[in-house]
Amino acid sequence: MQALLSELKASRQALMKAFRAGQETETFHERHAAIVDQYFRRSLEESASRRRLFRGRSSFSIVAVGGYGRSELCVRSDIDLLLLFASRIPDEAKSLVQEILFPLWDMGFDLGYAVRTVKDCVALAKKDFEVLTSLLDARFIGGDSPLFLKMVESIEDKVLAKRRDHFARWLRDTDILRLETAGDASQRLEPDLKKGIGGLRDVHHMMWLARAQHGLRNLRELETSGRLSHAEFTDLEKAVTTIRCVRNHLHDLSGRKNDRLTFEYQPGIARRLAYSDQPGVPAVERFLGDLHAAMATVKSLRRVVTRAFHEQTGRRSGKEPREKISRGFVLRRNEIHFPSATAVLEDPVLMLRIFEESARTGTPLSLEAQRLVREFLPLMNESFRTSAEVGKGLCGILSSDGAAETLDQMFETRFLDTLIPEFGNIRDRVQFDTYHLFPVGRHSLETVRALKEVGRQKEILLSSVYLELQDSQVLLLAALFHDIGKTGSNHARKGEALVRRMLQRVGLEPGRIEDVAFLVLHHLLLQETATRRDLTDEKVVVQCARTIGTPDRLKMLYLLSWADARATGPRAWNDWIANLVQELFFKVLHLLEQGELATPDAAKVAQKAWEDLQRQTAGEIPKDRLEKAFDAMSSRYILNTQAADMIRHVHLFERYSGRLALTERAALIVDARKDEAVGCWELTFLAQDRPGLFSMIAGALTLNRINILSSDIYTWRNRTAVDVFRVEDPGPGRVPEEVWQKVEQDLAKTLEGKLSLSERLDQKGGPSVLRRPGRPTRIPEVRVENKVSDFFTLIEVFANDRVGLLYEITRELTALDLDIRIARISTKADQVADVFYVRDAGGQKVEGAEEIEAIRDALKIRLAQDGNRIEQVASI
Amino acid sequence: MKKIEAVIKPFALDAVKEGLSNLGVQGMTVSEVKGFGRQRGHREVYRGAEYQVDFVSKLKIEVVAASSLVPEVVDAIKEKAWTGQIGDGKIFIYPVEEVIRIRTGETGEDAL
Repeated sequence: MQALLSELKASRQALMKAFRAGQETETFHERHAAIVDQYFRRSLEESASRRRLFRGRSSFSIVAVGGYGRSELCVRSDIDLLLLFASRIPDEAKSLVQEILFPLWDMGFDLGYAVRTVKDCVALAKKDFEVLTSLLDARFIGGDSPLFLKMVESIEDKVLAKRRDHFARWLRDTDILRLETAGDASQRLEPDLKKGIGGLRDVHHMMWLARAQHGLRNLRELETSGRLSHAEFTDLEKAVTTIRCVRNHLHDLSGRKNDRLTFEYQPGIARRLAYSDQPGVPAVERFLGDLHAAMATVKSLRRVVTRAFHEQTGRRSGKEPREKISRGFVLRRNEIHFPSATAVLEDPVLMLRIFEESARTGTPLSLEAQRLVREFLPLMNESFRTSAEVGKGLCGILSSDGAAETLDQMFETRFLDTLIPEFGNIRDRVQFDTYHLFPVGRHSLETVRALKEVGRQKEILLSSVYLELQDSQVLLLAALFHDIGKTGSNHARKGEALVRRMLQRVGLEPGRIEDVAFLVLHHLLLQETATRRDLTDEKVVVQCARTIGTPDRLKMLYLLSWADARATGPRAWNDWIANLVQELFFKVLHLLEQGELATPDAAKVAQKAWEDLQRQTAGEIPKDRLEKAFDAMSSRYILNTQAADMIRHVHLFERYSGRLALTERAALIVDARKDEAVGCWELTFLAQDRPGLFSMIAGALTLNRINILSSDIYTWRNRTAVDVFRVEDPGPGRVPEEVWQKVEQDLAKTLEGKLSLSERLDQKGGPSVLRRPGRPTRIPEVRVENKVSDFFTLIEVFANDRVGLLYEITRELTALDLDIRIARISTKADQVADVFYVRDAGGQKVEGAEEIEAIRDALKIRLAQDGNRIEQVASI
Repeated sequence: MKKIEAVIKPFALDAVKEGLSNLGVQGMTVSEVKGFGRQRGHREVYRGAEYQVDFVSKLKIEVVAASSLVPEVVDAIKEKAWTGQIGDGKIFIYPVEEVIRIRTGETGEDAL
């Protein structure tokens, strides 16, 4: 007996050695089982207990059951054995067990055994279908073979014959349970190779069902009995071999019976299977991709086979199901069928049509239809793929209610990747991390699904944004293809180029291609900006808004970010991130809807302005200088300034730059132009921006008794203030050019700190030129508003117009330490309605109730005083 | 030894992390947190429906350092997490009685 054990050990070691060297990988499980068989047969021959049992006329046989029965003995699999007796279990059975089984335990095998009579087996199998499955796999090893046959027949006659349908239902229920506990292994990053859906258990399930229903004994018979096509059988066998081989390596590397392929073992197994790194795709990711593909094959073929069996289970009642014809397809048992196989051969476009019809009616393809699609995939040639039907078909499917389910079937039958070959390249791409839950292909489908189900979200913001979209097909196409570039690094940029080409090929309209390409390129923009940049920084939000351009694109991008993250995994999306992205969404939306970028095509306007500028200044200003000036311009400036004015300003900026080099802080340019049509003047001031600048300009004008009609103030990014004031004519008796010169001198002195405007203005005793005695004085009104802008506090002032009013207001604002960033001055008759966009000294909005009250009071007092003073002056 | 706990804006994490590792701080714990201080949550109105955001998303970092290193750690966090805007966050400092490294059983500053 000892010799047998050493032999077993030696053969096993030799087998392991070969396996690790990459030999015998496909047949390992059978060789392993054969080695163990050999041990049992030989030890039985030598066994003293056997001879005693023989003398006592107790016949028995040794039977391999479970995985060992199937000869599927992986490196660390259990060895399950049945000692079968005819009718009574003699005492001697115990010593037989001791003699031939105990040594195996000592050697470290996981050994399970049962000692039963035939009657026991039948009783147990009736009660417990687990026992029944292990007996379905039973294989005779040694002893009395008629006894074994008797057991097999009893199981057939007394259990299967009566409980076939029960058993089939039980098997189906265990699949549901497996899905809940082990999950869909073909989509998991740490798949369960045995119990997961798509794992080896699926193959067992198929076999048990085939055995119970039709007495088939092995996989091959599924083909020879016509239940699988030859191609399907070959695929299945290849897939099973792959999974089994991985399982053997996993057992070996982890040193235990372990079926969950956790991250720690993945790189090691990839190495053993000779996967190598490729640019942008590590070996382990290629390995997992292949494994997932194998498991997906098993999963889908198991469904084909078992559904057919299960249908027969139910159909014994005899009633034929009702049929309905819908657009040339047959609807039966809530499934959709092709009219016939020849119809598909004659018109392969039917394959696209059936999916459209399936999505439209919410009816899945029948198994037969799926199989026909698989078989006829080669009919989809280049002209099929490039027809505009494809684009239309895809859009139609995406907008249907059943889109997600139909895409699933298109994916499983590989119709989708044949239609769009680029999709095939990402189908099984896996990312080796704990962040991405699904391979890329499945992730893309889940992204579409999330959007289709957005209405079920608690978060009603998402669904109301979705409902407002002008063209949800664009968003859904982007969702399906957003990761199409994930064949290496920089996937968003790569994807943009790919998706353009793909959509052109299938005849999508150019405008929509642009939108999809935009979404693919920027699908990470919102989330990256929200989590990595400072959202209280105006520049960040403006930059984001400039990139996005329109509210509709923003909405699509917001939904795509959400769906993409949700389909990635629980770590990619949570309330914490949702909060940040939502904040960014609203800030960008406000800018695009109300702010400076509220024009529909801000980006295009800027581009056009740049081109105009280049063309019209050709030769006058060197390009690098022009570029410098253009880069400095703020977007609000670009969007609100005519090309002709812009060119003038660029020339002014050239002059200003020259002065800046000499005088720095006091550098100043004043340019005056008469608007003959309206009869007023336009004064342009260039100076270095600083708090109070606006007030100084207003003051210098007031000092020279010039009434301000309106103003636009801009600050370029290089801190150059470009302020444009429209003012009334100086009036009779004064030469405008001289007045403007005086204004420039006063302002220059003020900038240098040599002139105190407030003192000089006070000396003048208040502006009195515009006295209008007897006119009703409007009580000045001041509103402080924080809702309109995310970055500014708005101060609105309504009052009677007069010379110096603007100066008074802005001086007060400056005194309150407020920085005026934007001013909208408008005068209607003798009423002004001025709006100032301000921030406090720290660059923040003014939000404290007390501070707001203080601003309001100070302005009201200032305006009321001056108003009174004017009235007093007037009444003298 | 002291534990320095700081609540900062999410985007500042990389800069703070770099600042601390320049000081030789060996490890830190980072968590995603939500809350409010003077920067209250805010309310958005979208197409007539209100969306109340009660809590603002922030990151909390926790670092344990030798007492002598605390001023530098605090300065580094202050410098890197500062924007001057509301909501830059807060730093809290607590005394730490003991530190034990589970694997080796080392204690005190050796275990940091």
